[in-house]
Formats: sequence, structure tokens, C-alpha cells
Amino acid sequence: MRQWVPEFYRTIRRYLKLYRVFLSQNLKEDMIYRSNFITLVVMDIGFVSISVILFKIIYSHVNTIAGWTFHQSVILIGSVGIIREMAYLTFRRGFLELGSHIRTGTFDIFMVRPIAPNIHLAFRHISLSESLGESIMGIILVGYGISHLDQWSWINVFLYILFLLNSLMIYYGFSLLINSVVFWVIKTQELNTILYFFMETSRYPGDVFRGIGKVIFTFIIPIGIIATVPASILIGRIGWHFAMISLIIGISFLTAGLLVWKKSIEHYSSASG
Amino acid sequence: MEADVPHFPYDMKKYITLFHINWQNTLQYRFSLVIYIAGYSLYIWVLLYLWSAVYREGQTVGNYTLSQLTTYYLLQLIINSVIFSYISWDVIDNIKNGNFSNFLIKPLDYFFYWFTVNLSGKILEALFVMMAVGLISIVFWGYFAFPERFITLIYFLISVILGIVLAFELDFCVGMITFWLTQVRTFKYMLQTLILFFAGAMLPLDLFPDILIRISDVLPFKYLVFFPASLYLGKIDNPWPSFAALLVWILIFYGLARILLIRGIKRYEAVGA
Repeated sequence: MRQWVPEFYRTIRRYLKLYRVFLSQNLKEDMIYRSNFITLVVMDIGFVSISVILFKIIYSHVNTIAGWTFHQSVILIGSVGIIREMAYLTFRRGFLELGSHIRTGTFDIFMVRPIAPNIHLAFRHISLSESLGESIMGIILVGYGISHLDQWSWINVFLYILFLLNSLMIYYGFSLLINSVVFWVIKTQELNTILYFFMETSRYPGDVFRGIGKVIFTFIIPIGIIATVPASILIGRIGWHFAMISLIIGISFLTAGLLVWKKSIEHYSSASG
Repeated sequence: MEADVPHFPYDMKKYITLFHINWQNTLQYRFSLVIYIAGYSLYIWVLLYLWSAVYREGQTVGNYTLSQLTTYYLLQLIINSVIFSYISWDVIDNIKNGNFSNFLIKPLDYFFYWFTVNLSGKILEALFVMMAVGLISIVFWGYFAFPERFITLIYFLISVILGIVLAFELDFCVGMITFWLTQVRTFKYMLQTLILFFAGAMLPLDLFPDILIRISDVLPFKYLVFFPASLYLGKIDNPWPSFAALLVWILIFYGLARILLIRGIKRYEAVGA
């Protein structure tokens, strides 16, 4: 135990340092194509606006969706944007490139570097711009949503951020699980389509699920909690027990994801084989 | 020179060959199609819970019943893959990387070349998607509305076939923009979202506020999604005026595609010289 703690601390510090190096490198690359950077941001803002308009239209016909008002739903949409940007700032781009790495055999590089393959894959192409517009909109929407709440507190905001990190953990674990398939079925580049639908459908409140759907969309395909739990905490409409369960789910997904990924990577045989 | 090249209806044979070749190419992508269908099924499943929650609270959305609303989105799965054309990605590549030059000397009509490629892909996708929709509608039995009259199905089929043509022409025109605009991909993303929005792909158009309905009425996009879906749901009594309007749009966009192609070639030659 005494050995393990400083070891763990050193590893974390090393990865944080690596992250800084990769981030600054990627930011420089982003800045080279400045017009592209701006277009991406503007485009994202457009996309999020359309989501908000769609929700506005739905709410012109109904008062609440599973108890959620329009302003509360806006917080949900915003949260999805923020989680997406957090994912792009950590791991998302790597998975989008994984398929072609496996197909062409360039994944070899990741196997021989003195850094865990999943970390290297994640940090190699950190992208600030990919979802920046969405997260800017996200923060605005969450702020707008909060301003229409009857009551809120800074403690809730703090817990909200904490549970956003938990959601990021769930998202990462889930991505690892889905993308592990690529080592077994080489042709699959479209697995990330599923992750796209995964995040798109997270915009709807998890409270809509009932019965078997509740179980599946909480524990197996965690659409019902990834954005709903942080947003519910901010709004103050969630009990402690469910928040705790979602933390356990987060840890479980991360653990399961890492284990399956590790097992799958052993199955990798370069392209020339 | 031009007179030696026989045009479309007179030289069907090479287009039939082309159809066959591309058919085989498309077969290779069946896995990605399966993934897409899986992702979309997930989406429909979540929406089913969403709308159920709304209706359980005693609210209704426009003049839709729960099963009509679910059916609307299930029809989307058919429409998205069968009607919508995605060949402009290839057209953009083709023009950007200069392969377009080869077409200038081939005895193939550029418009009909892509039309054939698109069509052969669509027919194969249609088979897959029909099977999937059949399967999903069995799973969601009771939430899927079947047309009361047989003639409705015929109308639906006509609207799908005409929709394929119009969608292709629209997509081809978008591809033609490559001749003028280098950032065409970004432009295409934005345009695509607007088209989907005003086609009724995200939400049935008759739920929109008046002003947006009026805008969508003067645009051709509603014929891609909202019109065929409404036909299927039996919401249109006399479809013939709409069919006529659809044909007019098809002619207009055929003309536009031709003009853009002729002008584009002139511009392309000017750049290449």
C-alpha cells in the first residue's frame, strides 16, 4: 500500500504533464487553420440553436416532458454540449481515428510507446475547436436555464460540475466498450455512429423511461443518466440515493471499459499479419 | 464530337453495367448500414419513451396520436436512407482531387453517372432498411400505424420514388458548388441541417409555428420527408396537386443541375488550364 500510493501519484503527474504537452501542440495546429476554427464554432452554434428551436416547438404543444419544463430542458441541452466538449478535450477524437489506425496498421505506434495505448490515443489529437461552439452555447444555455429557476445555490453548481465529470467517466467507459469491438471486427469504422446517437438522445430527460427501458437506459446504455443526472442535481430534483447510484455506475463503466479494452488490445495483430 | 456521344436513354447498357459495379461496392458497406440501423433503432426507442411520457401526462402533440408520431419517426428511417442522397461527398472529392478531368473525356454523362451510382446504392439500402423496419415494427407492435387503405401505400411508393429523384438533384447541385467554393464541406453541413429541418426530418412540419410552416411551404424540402410521411399516415386526401408540384420542382432542379454543371465545367477548365 505504501508503495502503491506514491506510484499512483507519479503516474497521474506524468499523464498531466503529457496532457499539457499534447494540448499545446494541438492548439497550435488548430490555430493554423483559423478560418476553419471560426467556421466550426459558428456551425456548432447553429446546430445547438436548432435543437433549442425544436424543443421550443415541442414545448409550444406541451407544458412538461416527464416533469421537465422548457427551461429545465434547456439546461439538459446545454449539459450535453458541455460534456461533448469535455470529451473532445480528452479522448473523443482518438476513437474517431481508431478504425483507420487498426485497418492500416498504424496502431503499432501506440503499442510500442512508453505510455498506455488508450491514453496516447486519447491525447494525440485533443481538439478544442471540434465542439467549442457547442460548449459555449452549452454554458449560455445552462446559465439561461438557471436564471429561470425558482431557486438555486452555488453548492448545486459545484455538485453539477462534479457530476459532469462523472458523466465524462461514463461516456469514456462506454466509448471504450463500444470501440473495443474494432479489435475483433476490423472493418468497423462506423461504431462511432452509435456514440453519436448515444449523445444525441441524451438530450431528453431520463425520467421518460419506464420499466425495462429504465433499467436498460440507466445501467446498460446510460442515455438516461449521462446528462439528466448533472442537470437534475443543478435543478435540485434528484435524491441522494440516485446521485450515488450514478457515481457507482460511472466507476463501473470506467472499470469495465478499461478491462474490456485491455483484453481486446491483446487481440490486435498488425495489418501485415 | 458532341454528336458522337449518345445520350442517356439511348445508351442504357453502360449505365446498367455501372449499376452492377456499384451494387457490389455498396454490398461491402452493409456492416456500416447495420450499425446505422442499430443506432437509429436506439433513437426511435428513446423517442417512443419520450412521446409516451408526454401522452401519459394527458397531453397531445398537435393532432397526432402516439402511434402516428412513432410511425412518423420510423418512416424517417426508411426515408433517411432510401430517399436522401449522400453522393455529393463523392462528387466533392471527385472535383477537388481532379479526378473530374477523367470524366470530361469519358463517354458518360456526369449527371447520369452519379444518378446511376446513387440509385444502385439506394435500392440495396432500401432492401436492408425494409427488413429492419419490418423487424422494428414487430418489436414496437401497437406503436406502429399501418395505412387503412391499400392505395395509400401506392401513393407512398410514388412519393418515395419522386423523392429519390428530387433528393438526388438537390444533392448533385450541392456537389456542383465545389467548382466555386473550396470550403464546400462546411457549407454542405449547414445546408444539410437546414434541409433536414425544413423537410420535417426532426419534427413533423405541421407542429411548427405558422411562420415556419409558411417558409417550408415555399421550399421544396418538405417533399423529401414530411410529404411522404403524411401520405403514409393518411393525412392527405388528394395527393395529386402535391405530386404535380413535386414534378415541377424536379424539373426546376434538373435545369439548375444542368446549368451548374455546364458553368462549372467552364470554370474548371479555366482553373486547370
